[in-house]
Amino acid sequence: MKLKYSLITRRTFLNTLFGGWLFAFFAGTFSALMKFAFPTLGKEPDFVVLNRKDFTDLANNSVKRFPWGGVVGLYFKKADGSVLALKGVCTHMECNVAYKPEERRFYCACHNGWYDENGKNISGPPPKPLEVFTIMEEGEKLIIAKKGVKVELPKA
Amino acid sequence: MNCPKLKNWLEERYDWEGMKRFAKRKLVPEHRYDLWYYTGGITLFLFILQFLTGMLLAFYYVPHIDFAHKSIIEIVTKQNLGWFFRSFHHWGSELCIAFLFIHLFGTLLLKSYRKPREFLWATGFILLGVSIFFGLSGYLLLWDERALAAVRVATGGAGNFPFIGGFIKAFLRGSIDVTGDTLTRFYAFHVAILPIITLLLVGLHLLLMQYHGMSVPLSLEKEKRREIPFFPNFFYKDLMVWLVVLGVLTTLAVLLPPEIGAKADPLAPPPENVKPEWYFLFLLETLKLFPGAILGLNGETIAILMVSCAILFFFLIPFFDQRSARGEKSPLFTWIGVIYLLYFLTMTVVGYLS
Repeated sequence: MKLKYSLITRRTFLNTLFGGWLFAFFAGTFSALMKFAFPTLGKEPDFVVLNRKDFTDLANNSVKRFPWGGVVGLYFKKADGSVLALKGVCTHMECNVAYKPEERRFYCACHNGWYDENGKNISGPPPKPLEVFTIMEEGEKLIIAKKGVKVELPKA
Repeated sequence: MNCPKLKNWLEERYDWEGMKRFAKRKLVPEHRYDLWYYTGGITLFLFILQFLTGMLLAFYYVPHIDFAHKSIIEIVTKQNLGWFFRSFHHWGSELCIAFLFIHLFGTLLLKSYRKPREFLWATGFILLGVSIFFGLSGYLLLWDERALAAVRVATGGAGNFPFIGGFIKAFLRGSIDVTGDTLTRFYAFHVAILPIITLLLVGLHLLLMQYHGMSVPLSLEKEKRREIPFFPNFFYKDLMVWLVVLGVLTTLAVLLPPEIGAKADPLAPPPENVKPEWYFLFLLETLKLFPGAILGLNGETIAILMVSCAILFFFLIPFFDQRSARGEKSPLFTWIGVIYLLYFLTMTVVGYLS
């Protein structure tokens, strides 16, 4: 069929075809390369299950670390004996925080940031308080979960 | 694409028009042997692909005796498209060396090495040596039984070199046997030392080629010949050939992923019927021809010396071949070239079939 009028010239058509093909080729190649270069990242857990025995005889006014996904969680027994679980990562630049028992505060050495006993940021650059988790006990298990997350244990 | 502003911006800073004129002025001869001109370009393209995929694989590879083998298995089984990039890098290396040999023998038989292009030949020849070492070092990184056996034989063979053999062997192994020290050493060769040498040599090779222009075979030198502009005519043809090579390479990588043997155990005997990569077969077969002792001397040493002399002569052919340097026909060196080619092909096939 011969068209009387055409919106594009043969040259434009071929250029678009060729250019589009080139674009598709390089986009495909590049995306394959990027797919390999970017690893499948793990995501932060909703909860972790720990052994209760490991944490029962913790002294007052001290912390014990536990793994929270790839980062550190802190199981903290205050001076008055109540317990708290926090994410031990500074909200400023993601350094790990340390507990200073004599001052009863959490300290981040990277940029001199301070948090109080409840994880509230009180001095230095941290913009937000430390993340506080919920603590649950189920028989021998100690479950530490994100606030507001429904914990469904896999049936063993 | 028409961006006058960008063009002006460039023109104010660089001699853009001059560069364009230069690109247009570069001519490539067109004749019945011009197929050989593409072999160098293909090799360059394969080098680029090897550099790219190698950089990516280095993200995940762990050069440690305890983890090397496992890390490759994890690349292949756990990373997105990891199996493809490992296979691609493997087949890229095979094709790269194959095209280097094709390029080499093409240059040899058409006598493109003749005056004034002796240094082009020399840089290319060294690049072939570097690439074979690339192959060997990359091969050990797999750290499986076959790789261990291959590198033991190769470094042990180098150790039979008179006088300096012991030093070469110690330098390559970094220990008395092929061990974890050899692995880290070969990793350094493969990802740091050889790539830089390759970049320098490829740069020099291309610069020299730009300086001398394409060589025209002796038999066609006197004839009137046509020439086509490098840009865009020859460049487009180059791209088309590269696309075909990329297609072949991708197909090989997808359909024939290379195997990963059992993890190397320095105390275990090598697997039965172990064979090196195909480009080592001609050397291996040559060494097999020599008896253990010749007139009370170590046969291996004599064999290594003779092979080295043959390779050295091959390397120096442009300087020996005086007739072609004067622009005359040089049948003697054609025959020498054919003998080298036939020897290489026969021994490779014999080694493959035996």
